[in-house]
Amino acid sequence: MKLEDRLALLNYKIDRTYAHITVKPDICETCPDHFCTFSCPAKCYTLIDGKLNFKYEDCVECGTCVVACAHGSVSWTNSKGAHGVKYKYG
Amino acid sequence: MSEFDAIVVGGGPAGSSAAMRLASAGHNVLLVEKADPPGSKNVSGGVLWGNDLEAVIPDWQKTAPVERYVKAKGVGFLTKDSNIGLEFRSSLFDKNRAGHMVLRAKLDQWLVKKAKDMGAMVASGITVDRVAFDKGKAIGVEQDGDLITSDCVILAEGANPRVAIDSGLREPLNDKDVAIGVKEVIKLSEKTVNERFNLRDKEGFAGEYVLGFLPDQVEAGGFLYTNKETISAGVVISMKHLRENDRTYSFDIIEQFLEHPAIAPLVDGGSVEEYSAHMVQEGGIERVPKLFGNGYMIAGDAAGFSFSNGLVLQGMNYAIASGIAAADTLIEAKKGNGVSEESLAGYRKRLLDSYVLKDLYNFRGIDEVTWGKLPHRAIPNALEHIMKGLFIEQGVPKKHLYQLMTEALGESGIRTSDAVLEGYRMLRRM
Amino acid sequence: MIELALHLVVLIKVVPDGKEVFVDPVTFTLNRSMATNIINPADENALEAALQIKDQTDAKVTVMTMAPPFAEPFLMECMSRGADEAVLISDRAVAGSDTYPTSLTVAAAIKKMGDVDIVFAGEKTSDSSTGHVGPGVAEFIGAELASYSRKVTYENGYVTAERELENGIEEVRIPTPAVVTILTDSNDPRRATLRKKIDAMKRGIITWSLADINIPADWVGLRSSPTVVKKMLPFPRKDRKGEKIEKEKIPELIDNLVKSGVIRVEAE
Repeated sequence: MKLEDRLALLNYKIDRTYAHITVKPDICETCPDHFCTFSCPAKCYTLIDGKLNFKYEDCVECGTCVVACAHGSVSWTNSKGAHGVKYKYG
Repeated sequence: MSEFDAIVVGGGPAGSSAAMRLASAGHNVLLVEKADPPGSKNVSGGVLWGNDLEAVIPDWQKTAPVERYVKAKGVGFLTKDSNIGLEFRSSLFDKNRAGHMVLRAKLDQWLVKKAKDMGAMVASGITVDRVAFDKGKAIGVEQDGDLITSDCVILAEGANPRVAIDSGLREPLNDKDVAIGVKEVIKLSEKTVNERFNLRDKEGFAGEYVLGFLPDQVEAGGFLYTNKETISAGVVISMKHLRENDRTYSFDIIEQFLEHPAIAPLVDGGSVEEYSAHMVQEGGIERVPKLFGNGYMIAGDAAGFSFSNGLVLQGMNYAIASGIAAADTLIEAKKGNGVSEESLAGYRKRLLDSYVLKDLYNFRGIDEVTWGKLPHRAIPNALEHIMKGLFIEQGVPKKHLYQLMTEALGESGIRTSDAVLEGYRMLRRM
Repeated sequence: MIELALHLVVLIKVVPDGKEVFVDPVTFTLNRSMATNIINPADENALEAALQIKDQTDAKVTVMTMAPPFAEPFLMECMSRGADEAVLISDRAVAGSDTYPTSLTVAAAIKKMGDVDIVFAGEKTSDSSTGHVGPGVAEFIGAELASYSRKVTYENGYVTAERELENGIEEVRIPTPAVVTILTDSNDPRRATLRKKIDAMKRGIITWSLADINIPADWVGLRSSPTVVKKMLPFPRKDRKGEKIEKEKIPELIDNLVKSGVIRVEAE
């Protein structure tokens, strides 16, 4: 089963006014490892033509990326207002 | 005069237990949880070990939404082709229910409701920004520019403790603190679960596996727990080793586990109902932060309270026990001279007297032996070699077990002297 | 009740989260067993529209629903976002009511309040999609109606609403008392705050029974509901052609889409 299909099973309440994770593109541009792309279990970080692409909408709020990024690019805050992922099993 | 005796941040097992204990002792407690409904952002592997909940909900084993109880506990070493395992299946578990399979979205919502029924004020769907301090004392929490005051703040926010970090009460997490947990809930039917795992009624199977077949440096453990009509299956991946590898995707590892020849038949035909991920606290005693200060205490995963020795993986019991210890400390402080750094020091003492900190101290350095080449490569390969020699007829004269073991050590890819030394260290620490 | 210049009432309904409801492939019935409850999405937008008027004008916002007591936390959530009070119409007799007795009952509650200037409702509910209750209430209380609105302002006894129609936006100006139904996603609902949530829990909500609003029990419930749901059907299956288009053939694809009327090329 592809990751995209697994993520499609999840219920998200997307926050249109607040991104709980932000990245600093200038840091990502010179990043030697892009470990975020391997560690993030929800594939929120991908490389497109060598450039880092980040989308927070699929985030499952595990917090892995902020530990994974050794270069200080990722800022992580809790989602607000019960937005974000909503598990039914957990 | 504060608005609340205590504000508890986080509605997981630690926070709810603290809130229940405080509310039932007549204290004015506010429990704040970011998810709505409570529990809907919480994930764990799925076995709640122990009976700590009894202190706050005496009949929990009968009334809580638990899926099954542990009737059989398995440990397995997986190589590319094999699972070499050990199973402890015992009727001793029937009388002494050591562990229960749970699904957190259900369990945590139930615990929060219990806290509410016992008199706690519950605010769900609210994200606390940070702990508010005045002259070095925690005086409450800040939320969206407002200050809500309390005599004491109990941080029980889980494995990704943003409030503690943003309030300067905990160092940011690093590779040593956490592993990446990835999980799927797979639906079968109650009958199929019973048949495949040789279970009846409420009996359950809890298996933990070493994934010895992973590429290169990647190290991960797997787990498989039976729920009523679903299976919780997942992997716990070492952040450090995944980083060293830097070409394996975390989300592929769970698929490799589920496609393993020994695992695939167990989940065959099931429909994936949910995919989830969560960090697993792994830091051990060295990474436990300062547990209390003037006006605050940290409990559960937020304090790094979890335990893994490769054979078991526990966290919720530590969460509940520490939440109750925090509440009891506050109750005692309020009976005495009030909340201060000195009076809250009792929290650490209570934990030292209980299994929470005892386990973490006794098993310090355990991560050095649970992760590494010996358990993740050498042992699985050596065991497979021995089993092959013992059980696969190759039309050649049989060998003695001792001879097979010597060969296996050679096969294991690790020097004999190192293996003996490492093995000794491992046994000592486990 | 505190006397303020303007009294706004927001009607909400608690519904199963649509993303967790699915049609059972065997029985063709809706399976809600795994679904948690939420505030109907359009009603969140209705509340936000009312709160935006309160931001500008001295106003009191009352949020109201007709439901069993399980709806209480959702009313609390609305107060935590800025509503001043919450009314729960709860009575065993209303069980099984369709949109007709529901509108009638809600209208009676609004009449009891006496001073209501604008009633806000979501354009429709996500669990039944009738869109009846807002217009029904307008009829029963004798108010003007602006349906399918996306932006609402108030000035000197008049409501101005931007209505989204099939091929354009219509701006209407109607006198109060008025009923406005609000489109889903027409604004970004504000978040609850902890301070307001604590205040809401301390204040509690107002519960009215049918007797409180002078509605006889035999006017409501299943027997007084004309709607009959005969059966549910899944969408007819539409198989895709599954054609694969090579990168070079994109111009051809565009030609085909234009020919079949899917897209249209504007003259430069």
